[in-house]
Amino acid sequence: MTAIANKRKKPHQDIVFPIVNTCILVVLMFLTLYPVINTVAISFNDGTDALRGGIGLWPRQFSLKAYQALLTDELIWSAFGISVARTVITTVLNVILTSMLAFALSRREYVLRGFITITMVLTMYVNAGLIPNYLLISKTLNLSKTFWVYIIPTMFSCFNMIVIRTYISGLPEALAESARIDGAGDLRIFWQIIFPLCMPVLATVALFVAVGSWNQWFDTQLYNGSKKYLYTLQYLLKMKLATTNQSANAANATADALRTTTATTPVTIRCAITVVSAAPILVVYPFLQRYFVTGMVLGGVKG
Amino acid sequence: MRKLLAGILAILMVLSLCSFAAAEEPIVVTVFRGDPGDQPTSDNRIYKLIEETFGIKFEIEFLAGDLDETLGTKIAGEDYPDLFDGGNSAEKLINAGALIDLMPYISEEKTPNLYAHIQPILTQILNEDGQLFIIPNYGRNYNAQVQNYCNGPAFFIQKQVLAWDNYPQIKTLDQYFDLLERYIAANPTNADGVPYTGFAILCEGWRHFCLINPVQHLMGQPNEGEVYINRETYEVETFIDKDYARPYYAKLNEMFNKGLISRDTFVMNYDQYIAAISSGTVLGMFDQTWDFGSATAALETAGMYENTYIALPLVYDEHYGFGVISEQYLNGAVPNKDRGFGISVNCEYPERMVALFEALLSDEWQKILQWGIEGEDYYVEGGRMLMTSEQYHNRQDATWKRANTAVTIWESAPKKQGTMDDGNVWDPSLQPENYFALMSEYDQAFLAAYGYKVPADFFNAPCEIAPWGEAWQIDKAPIQDDYDDFLAIQDEWLPKIIMAADEDEFDELWAEFVELITPSAEIYADFMQVEVLKLVEQTLN
Amino acid sequence: MTGSAGHNVPAIKVKKKGFFRTLWGQKQLMLMSVPMLLYVFLFNYYPMWGWIASFEDYKPKDGPLGSKWVGLQHFEWLFGRSEFLEGIRNTLAMSLINLVFGTLASILLAILLNEVRSKLFKRTVQTVTYLPHFLSMVIVVGMAQNIFASTGPVNQLIKALGGQEIFWLGEEKLFWWLVGVINIWKEVGWNSIIYISTMTSIDPTLYEAASIDGAGRFQRIMNVTLPGIKSTFMVLLIMNIGHLMEAGFEIQYLMGNSQVEHYSRTIDVFVLEYGISNNNFGRATAAGMFKSIVAIILLFSANWVAKKLDEDTLI
Repeated sequence: MTAIANKRKKPHQDIVFPIVNTCILVVLMFLTLYPVINTVAISFNDGTDALRGGIGLWPRQFSLKAYQALLTDELIWSAFGISVARTVITTVLNVILTSMLAFALSRREYVLRGFITITMVLTMYVNAGLIPNYLLISKTLNLSKTFWVYIIPTMFSCFNMIVIRTYISGLPEALAESARIDGAGDLRIFWQIIFPLCMPVLATVALFVAVGSWNQWFDTQLYNGSKKYLYTLQYLLKMKLATTNQSANAANATADALRTTTATTPVTIRCAITVVSAAPILVVYPFLQRYFVTGMVLGGVKG
Repeated sequence: MRKLLAGILAILMVLSLCSFAAAEEPIVVTVFRGDPGDQPTSDNRIYKLIEETFGIKFEIEFLAGDLDETLGTKIAGEDYPDLFDGGNSAEKLINAGALIDLMPYISEEKTPNLYAHIQPILTQILNEDGQLFIIPNYGRNYNAQVQNYCNGPAFFIQKQVLAWDNYPQIKTLDQYFDLLERYIAANPTNADGVPYTGFAILCEGWRHFCLINPVQHLMGQPNEGEVYINRETYEVETFIDKDYARPYYAKLNEMFNKGLISRDTFVMNYDQYIAAISSGTVLGMFDQTWDFGSATAALETAGMYENTYIALPLVYDEHYGFGVISEQYLNGAVPNKDRGFGISVNCEYPERMVALFEALLSDEWQKILQWGIEGEDYYVEGGRMLMTSEQYHNRQDATWKRANTAVTIWESAPKKQGTMDDGNVWDPSLQPENYFALMSEYDQAFLAAYGYKVPADFFNAPCEIAPWGEAWQIDKAPIQDDYDDFLAIQDEWLPKIIMAADEDEFDELWAEFVELITPSAEIYADFMQVEVLKLVEQTLN
Repeated sequence: MTGSAGHNVPAIKVKKKGFFRTLWGQKQLMLMSVPMLLYVFLFNYYPMWGWIASFEDYKPKDGPLGSKWVGLQHFEWLFGRSEFLEGIRNTLAMSLINLVFGTLASILLAILLNEVRSKLFKRTVQTVTYLPHFLSMVIVVGMAQNIFASTGPVNQLIKALGGQEIFWLGEEKLFWWLVGVINIWKEVGWNSIIYISTMTSIDPTLYEAASIDGAGRFQRIMNVTLPGIKSTFMVLLIMNIGHLMEAGFEIQYLMGNSQVEHYSRTIDVFVLEYGISNNNFGRATAAGMFKSIVAIILLFSANWVAKKLDEDTLI
C-alpha cells in the first residue's frame, strides 16, 4: 500500500528505474545464457564435426553419441548413487555442525569465543600440503577405500561458519533474550529459535556445501581409485574426459586407435559432462532458492 | 560352416590353455595404470578367459588427475598396487624402491618367452647395476618392423596442395615454402571463402616440439629431442643456439612477414589448433602424426580427404651451406625403456605375476590380446589373418572394446610387435590387407600418382637405432631447473623472433636469444653428453 | 539503526565469576564448539608437520624425518627467481582486480535483483546468472579465446567501429584485465547469492518507514539495503584480503601462453611448473608456507584496520 502511495509521490525514479533495471538484467541474462546454451548445443553435436568449431545456439549435426558414451557406462548409476549419498550426508552434517558452531561463536559472552574463532579462521589460510593430508586420512585414520572418506574430512567449513555467524549477529537479540528469560538453555535457543530463523543463510550455505561436495573428484582419485563401486559421478566423468583426451591423441596410438575417435571427441564429451553433472544441481536448486530469494518475514520481532 | 568350425577350434584352444595353468587359488591382483582409462565391463570376455585360465582377477586403478602428484602420495604412503605402471614418471617408482628387480625371475628354462623377448634388447633396458624393473610395453619388434606410414615428426602438407602442383617431389625447406606461397597466391581462400593459413605452429605446453624441434630433422637426424648428436663421435650439442638453426627461423620470419604465418598461432591452445586443422584451412605445419590424429579423423569423417595431410621429410637446401643432407626422419624401433608394468615390493606373489606375463607372451595369448578370438573377432583365409569390416569397426568402438578386449592390461604388459613367424602382422591395423582396405579411394589415387603404395614411401627406410636409443628418453631430473629454463627461453623468444618486423630486428633478437640461452643450453648439453656416453658404453659392452 | 542494533544489548554479566566457573556455566556452548575445535586440530593443524618439508630436500619415500635438511635453501631459491617475484606481483594484481570489481559487481547485481518486484523474473534472472559457475574453466577459456581471437567477434566489432585490431591474447598488459573480466562474468551470479540471502534478513518495516519518510528508491538503497549488508560485506572483505595470495591457477594456466607469461604466471602456476611437476615437494611446500604467512599477515592487518574504524570484524 505504501508502495502505491510512493509511486505517486516520486514518479520519475519509480518508472525509469524498473525499466533500466529490467534492461540491464535482460542483457546480463543474455551474456550469461549464450555460452551455457552453446555448451548444451555442442554436447548434442556430432563429435568430429564439433572439432571444427563455429557451433552457435543449435547443434549443427545432431548426435547423442556423447551422452551415450557417458550414460551407458555400467558404473554410472552406482557412481550417481554414491555422489548423491555423499552430497546429502555431507550437506546435512556440515550445515548442522557449522551452524551450531556459528551460533556458539556469535555469543559475545562465550569466554572461548576469541580463541576458537581465531583457530577456525586460520584454517582458511594454512594448508599443510597434499602428502601430510593424504597420510593422515589414508594411514592414521585408515579411511582409504571406504565411503567415509567422502564424509569425515568435509564436515566443517570455516567460510560458511563465518557467513552464518554474521547472519546470526544481524538477527534481533530480543528473541534469544526472551527465551533465555524463560529458562531455555543455549542448545534449545539455537535449535528452536535461531536455526529456523537462519533458513535463508542455511539454504545458501547448504548450496555451497552441496555443490562443493557434488563436484569433488580428487578424493576419489586419492583414496578410492581402485574401488570402482565407490567411484563418484564426478570422478567417473573426469576419467571419461581424460580417456577421450588421451585416446584422441596418444603417442603410442596406432592407426587403429586414432580412428577410434570418430564417435566422441573431447570437445563434445566435455560439454556433455558439464550438462550431466550440473543437471541434478539445477533440479534441486529451486527448492533452496526459494529460501534466499523470496526471503522470510521477520516483521514484528523488532524489540 | 566356417564359423562353426572356427568356434570349435576356439573352444579347443581355450581348453588347451586352461590345461597348462595349474589349478592355483584365485587371487585379486591390484593394478595401477599411469594413464586415464575405462574400467572393463564386469562381463568382459577376455578378462573372463584370463580369470578362468589363471585364476587371476584384476582390480584396476587409472589416473584421473596429475601423475606426479598421484605417484607422490602413493610413494609417501607406500600404497603400491601389485602391478604398477608409473606412466611417464616411472623413474620415480624405481628411485623410491617401489619395484622389484625382475632379472632373478627370468631365465631360459622357467620363462622362455620372456627370456627370448628381452634378450635382443637387454643392453638397452638394463640399468647400470644390471637390474630390470620394468619390461618395456612397446618397441620390441619380432621379425620385420612394419612401416606403413610415419607416425612421428615430419613436415605436413595438405594433399590438395601437392595435387594442385601436379604431384611434385618436395624434398627441401625452400621447395616446401615456395609451394605453399604459390598455392596461397593462387587460392587465397577455400570454396567457402575462408582464408587459408599457410603454416601453423603449435606452441602450447609440452607440445612445443612443433616449434623447437624441426632443425635437427632439417639437418638429417631422427628425433633425439633437443640435442644434435654426431653418430660417429657421439658428440652432443644443443642445436637451437647454433648457426644451423638460424636459417629455419629466418625462413619462418620471412613467411610471417609474407602473411603465411598468423600471429594467432603463437597464442593458440591445443583445442584451437585441432579446430583449425579440422576445418581444412591450414595448409601445412610441422608436427607428429599422432598429435593431430583427432583432426585427421574429423576431416576423413567429413569426406574432406583432399584436406588431409601427407608427411614429408624435408631437409635444408644445399645453398644454406650445410652440404647435401640426406633425410633420416624414420628411426628404428626403440624399446620403450622404463615404461610398462613393474611388480611392486608389496606384491605377495611375484612368481605368479611373472608367470602371467610369460603365458601372455605366448603366441596363442598374443593373438587373443591383439586380434581377439578366431571366428569371433577375425578369420583366417589362406594363412592370412583377416577381419570383416564389421569386425574391424568393432575394434574402433570404445564401448565394444571395454567388453571384448583386455586392452587395459595389454597396453602396459610386454607384447609382441612386428610380424609373426607366418608373416601375419601382430598389430591388426598394420596388417597390409586391413591397411589397404581402410584407405580411402582418394588416398589410393593420391599415392598412385606418385607411384607409391604407402605414405611411408616418401621417406627413406628407418635407420638402425643408435647405441643410446633416442636421446629424448633420457631422464633430465638431475638438471630439471636448467632444462626448464632452456625450454622456457625458447618458448618465449622463438615466437618473437619469427614475428620480427624486418631482418635487422631479426638479427638483433636472434643474437639476444643466443646469448640468453647459452648458459642453460651448455648445462643441458654437458649433462646429455655424459648420459649418452654412459648409454653408449653400456650398449657396446 | 539496522540489524546491528542487537550488538548493543548487554551480554550476561560475567565479570565477577572466575574463568572456569564461567566456562562451566557455558557448557552448552562448549558442547556446540569444542568438538569442532578438536576436529580442526586433527584435520587442519596436525598435518602441519608437513611444513618441515620446506626446509628439506624432501623425498616421499624418506618422509619428513629421513629427508635431508637444507635449511633456507628453498626460500633462497624462490626469492632468487625473477619468475617467483613476478608471480607474487601477478597474483596480487589479479586477485585485487577480482576482489574490487568482483565484489562491486556482485553487490550491484544483488541490489538490482532486490529491486525487482516480479518474483518470477527475479528467480529467473538469479538462476540464469549463476549458471556459468558450473561451466568448467576449460570451456570458459575456450570460448574466451575464440571471442578475443584476432578475427573474433570483439575485433570485428572494433574494426566495424573503425578501430585498430587488438592482439588480445598475446598482449601481456591486457592479460590481468582479461582474466578479471572472465572471472567476474563466470562468478558474479554465484557470488551475489550471499548478498541476496543477506538482504532477506533486512526488516521490511525499515523500507516502509523509509518510504513514509519520503525516501526515493536510491535513498532506500543507500539508507536501508547497503547498511543491511554491511556486516556481511566487511566480513567477506577481510576474509578475501587474506585470500589475496590466491589468484587461482587454472584460468592463468589455460589462458596463458609464452607471449604473456611474465604477466600470467601466478605463484600457484609457478609452483606447479617448478615444484610439483619436478617432484620438488620441498620447494612447493616452501612456497605454500610463504603464501600462508603472508595471508595471515594480510588478514590480521585488515582485521585491525576494521577494528580501528569501528567496523564489523572477522575475529
